[in-house]
Amino acid sequence: MSKPPANRPAAQEVPDRAPTDWKTQSMQKRIRRRYAAERRFRLLGFAAVVLSAAFLAFLLATMVTNGWRGFLRTDVALTIDFPAARLPVTPAQLGTAGADLALSGAGLEDAVKNAAVAQFGPGGDALVADSAWLRVRDALKHDPTMLDRKVTLHVPASTELDQAHGGDGSPEMAAAAARLEKAGALSTSLNTAFLSESDSTDPVAVGIWGALKGSLLTMAVTFLIAFPVGVLSAIYLEEYAPRNRWTDLIEVSINNLAAVPSIIFGLLGLAVFLGTWELGGRTIGPLLPRSAALVGGLTLALMIMPVIVIASRNAIKAVPPSIRDAALGIGASQIQVVFHHVLPLAMPGIMTGTIIGMARALGETAPLLLIGMRAFIVTPPQGFTDPATVLPVQIFLWSDEVSRGFIEKTSAAIIVLLVFLLAMNGLAIYLRNKFETRW
Amino acid sequence: MNFYALLFLIAGLGLIGWLTARARAARFDRGVHRRLHSLPSQHGWYVAMWTVLPALLFLAIWNLVSPGLVREAVLQAPAAAQLSDFDFERDAVLAEARHIAEDPSADGDPLARQLAPAMGAARARYGWIGSGVAILLAFAGGAFAFTRVRAGFRARTRVERGVMMILLVASLIAILTTLGIFLSLLWESLRFFSAVPPGDFLFGTHWSPQVIDAVHPGQSLGAVPLFWGTFFIGAVIAMIVAIPFGLMSAIYLTQYAPPHVRAWMKPMLETLAGVPTVVYGYFAALTVAPAVRDLAVMLGMPFASSESALAAGLVMGVMIIPFVSSMADDSIAAVPTAMRDGSLAMGATTSETISRVLLPAALPGVVAGVLLAVSRAIGETMIVVMAASGAANITLNPFESATTVTKQIVDLLTGEAEFDSPKTLAAFALGLTLFVITLLLNVVALRVVKRYREAYE
Repeated sequence: MSKPPANRPAAQEVPDRAPTDWKTQSMQKRIRRRYAAERRFRLLGFAAVVLSAAFLAFLLATMVTNGWRGFLRTDVALTIDFPAARLPVTPAQLGTAGADLALSGAGLEDAVKNAAVAQFGPGGDALVADSAWLRVRDALKHDPTMLDRKVTLHVPASTELDQAHGGDGSPEMAAAAARLEKAGALSTSLNTAFLSESDSTDPVAVGIWGALKGSLLTMAVTFLIAFPVGVLSAIYLEEYAPRNRWTDLIEVSINNLAAVPSIIFGLLGLAVFLGTWELGGRTIGPLLPRSAALVGGLTLALMIMPVIVIASRNAIKAVPPSIRDAALGIGASQIQVVFHHVLPLAMPGIMTGTIIGMARALGETAPLLLIGMRAFIVTPPQGFTDPATVLPVQIFLWSDEVSRGFIEKTSAAIIVLLVFLLAMNGLAIYLRNKFETRW
Repeated sequence: MNFYALLFLIAGLGLIGWLTARARAARFDRGVHRRLHSLPSQHGWYVAMWTVLPALLFLAIWNLVSPGLVREAVLQAPAAAQLSDFDFERDAVLAEARHIAEDPSADGDPLARQLAPAMGAARARYGWIGSGVAILLAFAGGAFAFTRVRAGFRARTRVERGVMMILLVASLIAILTTLGIFLSLLWESLRFFSAVPPGDFLFGTHWSPQVIDAVHPGQSLGAVPLFWGTFFIGAVIAMIVAIPFGLMSAIYLTQYAPPHVRAWMKPMLETLAGVPTVVYGYFAALTVAPAVRDLAVMLGMPFASSESALAAGLVMGVMIIPFVSSMADDSIAAVPTAMRDGSLAMGATTSETISRVLLPAALPGVVAGVLLAVSRAIGETMIVVMAASGAANITLNPFESATTVTKQIVDLLTGEAEFDSPKTLAAFALGLTLFVITLLLNVVALRVVKRYREAYE
């Protein structure tokens, strides 16, 4: 910053001037104005932070107010007169393995609807869910003697009634809900099915287990690929790579990959993993099965690998050279230095970066839409190659549904997703604070 | 044989190799070689590597080749003579046959049913050949390595060389991914541009992929409205929200906030960045979009769209705030303290110091951060997919609907069109454009940051 004296402006003749009198009125006014500007500026900064916080709070509050009812379910106490329904099944049949089949064929669904009409009058069948008979079926299987008497069962209410019970339904349903409430026929309980069931067309019967399992399988693939590859390439770049054009190229591509929009990775997955290849004149179909957790996991692995590489490199860089020198000095080989000393010390930082990357992959939607993980999946995937969907895509699919009942289910699924993500981020912060070493 | 069982078997063989080699090395006669070159476990690793790696490499290649071989074998079957000559139909029948071979209770086309036994037999045959060769390779590799385990053998050097190769291969995957993205986008885009003139695509102002003229497909595939919509939502509306909020929060948090406030507020801003985009999208569609429409109606636009550019842009801007904030934070922190202290010592207030000294000095870094933020905003997909409209308009009115490149990519690829139509290929051309633009923004931003950092070092 030092300039040669020749370039310095010549010292100016300072005219004789009285020292500034800070007490004059104009000066006081000027200072007040400057301090006011200071306060305004500071307030502006504070407002920016508070408004951002307020937005986050508003978003979370919207999701919670919309979604908490998704974890509850409204049950209707329905009295079914089984002897009158004359179901063509015997109690003995219900103890056998063919019970499901026998009951499905026995018109149990109609029997439940008829019971609802008998109890609540015409239109009563609209008060119970289409899936209500499944609950009755399970109850019958549990206690076959019910076939010989009249029993009162709590069956799921229809979406419309459920909405009305929550204070958000059509006028006639609201009236029906009030009537049932008065009769004590409505009860609210925890909707455990939401966590154990899969997608359905009926909002009261949907669950997120299928999507959650798809997410877990996808994350497993992502982790198994991105973590080793990311850590190994970070080790190579930080500890071994000679400084030359090749390693520069690797570095540049990693930095750029970290900024490539996620949807581009979806296009890559679509073209490479699901495209048609030719090898020696033979067409080979898609390399990987469409819509499967395997292909989704691979795509996301490519996406978060740069995140893991960058975090791992920083963690490895932070290990002081004295540790390497000490290990080398007592005769350890390069590989031993890295795998016995540097890597364990860098692990907390690497894990933190990996968890953040995995959280990003867990919340990612766009690339998975392109590789076909948006199918209507009723049975949870059993393996890595089964058609699957993931939680964020399930949220997207439900958000497109017309039925109002899906709004609370979408928000409830968002709450589950956010809980997972916050837990992962919290774990990352905890790991960082607990194991962070300042050398 | 089941694929996972095979992997387990190979891993088991590797473990056996490791244990036996280590045991053998541990009992070397130390009389002659008083100091062994390698540890017993390093001999173990040497054998394990030779057992596992060739077998896995073979399996990877075999999995690529065997579907073609199975297909060839099935086409030799007598029933295959009835197969259609069209690749598309033939592949569909073969896929069905494979399905039936796996699960005989599945129903399908009668021809597929006839082919199923041949398919099942061929798959079983090649499956067994593959497993057999893999296990043989594992044994051969292990045996070869085991015979070399001797007291004077330099196992450590060999193992370290192998590990080095693995590290190198791992770091090459990043280059391969970049190359894969670029080539796959380029390849599909070239196929697209062989049907549609690039001029029509890049400069055409009419976008309606639903109706594509078979003779002049370029007439309805002009992407200018998409580019405008992307720019308008991502680089104008979102930035009008994100830049002031991000910059002011960074200034407040770094210059004013007491430590305990900062300790709470910074993670909060980071949480804003951690919310998945699908949640933002849902929020935009459910809450913000109707509010914006009501506002438009109040302002005297009775037919305002509920899928306005403003709703998507606003929410996107909020999503970008933490990004701008952390970039601004970094570049303000990089300004030498001497400059700040000098200004304060001259009697400037903190706000005067910030706006006249710190910000001008940090400007290149802030600009680079904004460029990166723009690159992130124009690549953002879910918010616009859920909250913006599909109608391609060139408009300056934020209350009107506009569509973006990413939204159109999703719309084009999730329809029911076949893979080769100009409609689906257009998605790849859009993807290539997006990739090139974000890459350019990124390169420019990184260069600015680098040069700026050097200025103060």
